[in-house]
Amino acid sequence: MSAPLLALSAVTKRFGGVTALDHVSFDLAEGELVGLIGPNGAGKTTLLNCLSRLYRLDGGSIRFSGMDIAKLGRHEVARLGVGRTFQVVRPFRSMTARENVAIGALFGSDRARLPPREAFRVADEVIDLVGLGGRGHLLVDELTVPDRRHLEVARALATRPRLLLLDEVMAGLNPSEVAEALEVVKRIHASGIAILVIEHVMQVIVGICPRVVVLHFGKVLLEGDPSTVLKDPRVVEAYLGERYARRVRGSRGDG
Amino acid sequence: MSLLAQQLVLAILLGGVYVAVAIGFSLVWGILNIINLSHGAFIVVGAYITWTLFGRLGLDPFLSLPIDAAALFALGYLLQRGLINRVIRAPVFFTLLLTFGVNLAIVNLLLAVFTSDFRSVTPPYAGSGIVLGPVVIPSIRLAAFAIALLLAALLSLLMRRTRIGAAIQAVASDRDAAQLVGIDLRHTYALTYGIGAACAGVAGGLLSTVQAISPTAGEPYTLQAFVVVVLGGLGSVTATVVGGLLFGLIEVFGQSAPGLGAGYANAIAFAVLVIVLIVRPQGLLGR
Repeated sequence: MSAPLLALSAVTKRFGGVTALDHVSFDLAEGELVGLIGPNGAGKTTLLNCLSRLYRLDGGSIRFSGMDIAKLGRHEVARLGVGRTFQVVRPFRSMTARENVAIGALFGSDRARLPPREAFRVADEVIDLVGLGGRGHLLVDELTVPDRRHLEVARALATRPRLLLLDEVMAGLNPSEVAEALEVVKRIHASGIAILVIEHVMQVIVGICPRVVVLHFGKVLLEGDPSTVLKDPRVVEAYLGERYARRVRGSRGDG
Repeated sequence: MSLLAQQLVLAILLGGVYVAVAIGFSLVWGILNIINLSHGAFIVVGAYITWTLFGRLGLDPFLSLPIDAAALFALGYLLQRGLINRVIRAPVFFTLLLTFGVNLAIVNLLLAVFTSDFRSVTPPYAGSGIVLGPVVIPSIRLAAFAIALLLAALLSLLMRRTRIGAAIQAVASDRDAAQLVGIDLRHTYALTYGIGAACAGVAGGLLSTVQAISPTAGEPYTLQAFVVVVLGGLGSVTATVVGGLLFGLIEVFGQSAPGLGAGYANAIAFAVLVIVLIVRPQGLLGR
């Protein structure tokens, strides 16, 4: 088997006395789709921030296609092919949706970095792909909240990443919007891009991720296929508390 | 009547010079959030480059403008990359202090090299003008005006149509998000500061043809740039052009108001600044 696209090894991040990530290790293969789940405060977004170099590691290492990310600048990680969205969307407010996406294609990974005309052509394609078609000319402030999330994905996608980090892109969407967004993620994955997706909507995780990693208090609690992992008592306990977990076990008659 | 027309022409032409003086200052303030107190010194460096090339090589002052721009771009880029970047996230007071220090260093270096004598650049066509009935349009001032507006147009085009402009706007809008789509933050900051300095260099070259220059002449330019940007509003080339032209009008007609004279130029500038800050703090075209 070839080397993994992304390899986390004992990744540790502390904020003062709080250990937000504690020896987190897992791999992600080229083109793989992995779900990252865990209760609030488990360290999911912190992990993405380490991956995109917003944070410095306090220990361990992250290798992306063989390169040690810790030695690179933020823009260099992006150039290597790590694209990301933010949980709280961060568009360029002074620009239209189309211009936002074009920035991704103008810069982005080494496979992007297109001349302006081509960047705008790619922007139009990506805008259609994420379901923003016909609204590219709008300023960011004129977009609806779901559309701003789509825009966040579009901009990251236009950078032509090899690995896309999606941070709760479906939070706050209604069920039909979630279904649409799911289709988008599937299409992106089908195009060969590896995806690490943080999501609270379990339907998303079960529906599309062949493998999930569960974080709890900054540690990897479990990883495996979602239907097995979500039934695991340790995961139920992490999400819902010990008492609920006992009750679930009791009602099944195996506790 | 003819006096009024003549004054109007001179005021508009003077406004063009103010546009050139302020445009780089506006860019650096708007994008990097640095009130660049060494801007006036950059202008004076540009003026001395033009003066030197004119005196030593007989190069026409208008032909030396690209050289001013290139030299000041390099100076600005290196200063930002090596020095100012270190305090870019610090409170505004630190950047004020640092750019004030840079200003002092440049002024004293110029004093050591060029002495404190006043210099002027006087090409053969210095005194010529276009006569339109009762009004005379000085050729050099007209050319300076045209170049100032051309500079503004070029900067606007650069910001809207090029890769560099896109990077600058993205960085101004969201520093972190820009880096995560692959934009090199430090390089973009240094480019922005370099472009601002290049504009100052061109302004200096233009000024050397219409005013006498000395190493200490830069501080009023910084003040004028500040007033023009506050007047027009931060954040766009158009706002700076409007601010510059308006300031030219205010200054020329202010000085000729009954009871006032040329000595009141700075007082008028400050009065305008105060009034704008009270009435419309975001400037005429500010967001």
